[in-house]
Amino acid sequence: MISRKVTNMTTAKTKTRLNIGHEPKAFEKKNVWNVEEITALLDEENGTLDPRIYSDQDLYELEQERVFGRSWIMLGHEAHVPKAGDFLTAYMGEDPVILVRQKDRSLKVFLNQCPHRGMRICRTDGGNAKSFTCSYHGWAYDIGGNLVNVPYESEAFCEDFNKAEWGPGQARVETYKGLIFANWDKNAPNLREYLGDATFYMDHMLDRTEAGTEVISGMQKWVIPCNWKFAAEQFCSDMYHAGTVSHLSGIEAGLPEGMELSDAKIPTVGYQFRAKWGGHGTGFYVGEPGMLVAIMGPKIAKYWTEGEAAARAERRLGSAERARQLMVQHMTVFPTCSFLPGINTVRTWQPRGPNETEIWAFTVVDADAPDEIKEEYRRQTLRTFSAGGVFEQDDGENWVEIQAVLRGHQARKRRLNIQMGKGRSAADNPHYPGSIGYVYNEEAARGLYHQWIRMMTEPDWDTLGPK
Amino acid sequence: MLKEKVGPESSASQISTAALLLQHEVEQFYYKESLLLDRHEFNDWFDLLDKDIRYFMPLRTNRTRRDQKLEYSKDGEYAHFDDDLVMMRGRQRKLMSDVGWSESPASRTRHIIANVIINDASDDQEVHVTSSFILYRNRLERQVDIFAGERMDVLRRSDNKLGFMIAKRTIHIDQSTILSNNLSIFF
Repeated sequence: MISRKVTNMTTAKTKTRLNIGHEPKAFEKKNVWNVEEITALLDEENGTLDPRIYSDQDLYELEQERVFGRSWIMLGHEAHVPKAGDFLTAYMGEDPVILVRQKDRSLKVFLNQCPHRGMRICRTDGGNAKSFTCSYHGWAYDIGGNLVNVPYESEAFCEDFNKAEWGPGQARVETYKGLIFANWDKNAPNLREYLGDATFYMDHMLDRTEAGTEVISGMQKWVIPCNWKFAAEQFCSDMYHAGTVSHLSGIEAGLPEGMELSDAKIPTVGYQFRAKWGGHGTGFYVGEPGMLVAIMGPKIAKYWTEGEAAARAERRLGSAERARQLMVQHMTVFPTCSFLPGINTVRTWQPRGPNETEIWAFTVVDADAPDEIKEEYRRQTLRTFSAGGVFEQDDGENWVEIQAVLRGHQARKRRLNIQMGKGRSAADNPHYPGSIGYVYNEEAARGLYHQWIRMMTEPDWDTLGPK
Repeated sequence: MLKEKVGPESSASQISTAALLLQHEVEQFYYKESLLLDRHEFNDWFDLLDKDIRYFMPLRTNRTRRDQKLEYSKDGEYAHFDDDLVMMRGRQRKLMSDVGWSESPASRTRHIIANVIINDASDDQEVHVTSSFILYRNRLERQVDIFAGERMDVLRRSDNKLGFMIAKRTIHIDQSTILSNNLSIFF
């Protein structure tokens, strides 16, 4: 890929202290892994992956700068903050941020840290604010994150103290059909470019009606002691676990009366997509709604596949197959935004050290869906995909055990198999953009790790960016 | 028997024998119910859920004092659990399944129920009860989770072995972010 040694890079000095950041022509963090070592973590040609990608503390710290400091991170939905002053506290990697709706309807995202002594400015999960006052010394910020009041400023401060310079760092904010993303890096491509051909697949959930989507109020949060990449990769690339053994008991739990496990036929037709650029991936079955019935119940399955809403989705998406027949679609937008169109759970995997992830999950619904359907989405997603969800419970079980095993030296030494579908995907499907292969596949996982390695080793968007 | 008003406002001199008996009955019900869960006699526990059960655990958020009324998620908002009997019976099938990995091998749990307060027993068929719980879970080699919180139940008179069915259970968990990999156990 590139052979330049990161060790030779110097810290970019810049006079701009605040605002969006420095010119990332070089990485700031001194690395203990060189470019060749990071690049070797994934061997795409042979289909192997170094397990230290999930467990190494030094890689984790590099990731905070190089992946989470430069990627578009999903923070929530526009409907979470409808009115001026509505805010959510969220995270971009380990960095806490405040997302606020402005009076002109725009959105601001700034670091939830007072630049005076580093205190968290806002300590609640959300609400409506006219301003934010740091509870340590009372520095006050307006809803745009501008420092507007400093107690005893004239009596106690000094001539060269300039409030305009001392607001918290601002991130870029852009939205895609309701979902709000932010990025610290002013040189990163804009969100549309970054999403690239993935938007085609995001639309299966986000653009079924001109009314768009809204959210079921509330963000569920829980902790899984595993690396965030297990979760991101699974939603990106792993229908295999769902179609084999992980979720059989979840399916059993949802069978309507009179329906047996053998009636919930697991389809055999389906595709997986690897983005041309960016590490995004998705996969889905094509066919009968049996599995959707088993997960979301007959009401939702009917809403998704028959009737007026499905017909409208077909017109908007321009395809009956895409609107009605894609089943159990899983998707990750690199690095940590994952969702399941049809099931409509959306989440961000928040990294909390190499060995821990916080899940922040919510549910979206078509804004013009009947109330009864919105209520059914609420009940069914919290029954299936949540901390207590009959499907998600078992995901937690798998990832935790892998992470525990990776404490072992032998366990970390042996490269893992990531060969499935190698060499069998192609960008020549007349109906689906990107590189397309069979539904049981690891091509999208290889795409996710490929992008991760590029972000970890290429400081310059001139080489890294989408062409 | 339950017709007379009993509750936290009763002063010591006015406590009736009926109220004492009811307090005893309700506490004994909780102890025996807990044992069903802790001894993994799950089918018997699920049989305690009445046909109109709502098993509900709202989300709990961090709010300013001014916004305290927003602390718990409300009806129609997201929750940790909001199940009716059909959904709970599905959870039972998962729990008893040979392929229910999150509880096979099973968690070791201990439900400690205390601070049992009967709020309303004016209906002779239903008792409204508030209690506190500590739920300890130990799982696989070394996972430990401790949950605490408050349960608000509506218990309904029954001729089953334990004397009551659970008609409503609202669980206020004392965590905002759930500090566990899943909620595969029952409260």
